[in-house]
Amino acid sequence: MPLSYAELEQFYEGLVTRARAGGITCAIASGMACAAFGVSEATKDCDLLCTPDSASELLDLLGKATLGGQLPQYRGNLSAPLDGRWFRGGWTSHFVWAGGDSGAYLDIFGVAPRSSSPWETEIQGFYASPHTVAEMKRTTRDKDWPFVTALGARMIEMGDERGWLHIYDENLLRTFGEATKQGTDFFKRRPVLELAANNDPKLRPALRAEIEFWHELDRARLSIYEKAVRRYMVEVRKSRLPPGAGLSVQHALRVRCAEKYLPMNPLRDYGIARMISEAREAVAQIIHPAAMAWLPEVREHFRLVAA
Amino acid sequence: MKKTGKQAREYTPAMRRKLRKAIYEFHVRAFGQEMARVNYLPLAARRRYLGEMVDHANRKGVKSDKPALGVTP
Repeated sequence: MPLSYAELEQFYEGLVTRARAGGITCAIASGMACAAFGVSEATKDCDLLCTPDSASELLDLLGKATLGGQLPQYRGNLSAPLDGRWFRGGWTSHFVWAGGDSGAYLDIFGVAPRSSSPWETEIQGFYASPHTVAEMKRTTRDKDWPFVTALGARMIEMGDERGWLHIYDENLLRTFGEATKQGTDFFKRRPVLELAANNDPKLRPALRAEIEFWHELDRARLSIYEKAVRRYMVEVRKSRLPPGAGLSVQHALRVRCAEKYLPMNPLRDYGIARMISEAREAVAQIIHPAAMAWLPEVREHFRLVAA
Repeated sequence: MKKTGKQAREYTPAMRRKLRKAIYEFHVRAFGQEMARVNYLPLAARRRYLGEMVDHANRKGVKSDKPALGVTP
């Protein structure tokens, strides 16, 4: 019998409660966070942010966390070890509690992708803040973008003006000009807001260009990690674990493989400026040249992973 | 208290109403009438609705797992 959504939700929230009781800073950042913020996303997976310094304590906790009588296992050959050294560089560890028709899936990472500020500074209950989750949702997947806007809208409703940084719907953005009579320092962070404030007809192409830019940035970032993980993946796949090996044995194997073959911070090694420049070049191939002037400055979104 | 860069602005009641209406219309455009309604339910009811939807999908064989890539998109 597969676990219900409610049971999984309780399990993940219980995990966060136990982790925090043990001094681990962590927060749920997935569709479950979206649902809590009034943007329904149907998912049973859980994305969990955990500070890199607490990675080993979280691993100990997971090693004892049973669900439906099962203990978790690492999932897939690409999953990085749950270790602060790789977490700081933007890697993710994937876990599964197997059982029944569908298991429980947990992805853990230390740096929220594209986050411009440390997620741990504004946790809301079990969850990372809508600001963090909205930045994380600026992916290459079209389906994520309505969630970004909806989270931004929720922030505006709650009195957090940073919500305007996340509005990617043209109609909604045009209300920005009416709502914001005076200039704002957000123009620097997101130039298209100036077009919105002036009800400028260039808003639509500039907005399309901005979304394409984030798509290209995500493509470039994922491609860097995909290349960096190949040798590690081969080594993990080749390794033969004894049947029923526990999480600590699986972990030790991944750490051994990672120490030899998994670069800790491939994005920093590649160069953030280089990645951004390549994404701009890719966007220039598909959008009107005039729209390039309205692309945002995005370095701050990769500052934390490059630190 | 840590700095978060959060800024607050006071809107007039009329502007607030206009914003609220524009946001609801966005939810309808982006997610459809039914999910827009669900998004505005109280949290407990929203979670219950989502739970029923996800559990029903699972019973019908829908898989919800994502590929494990070693990096989060």
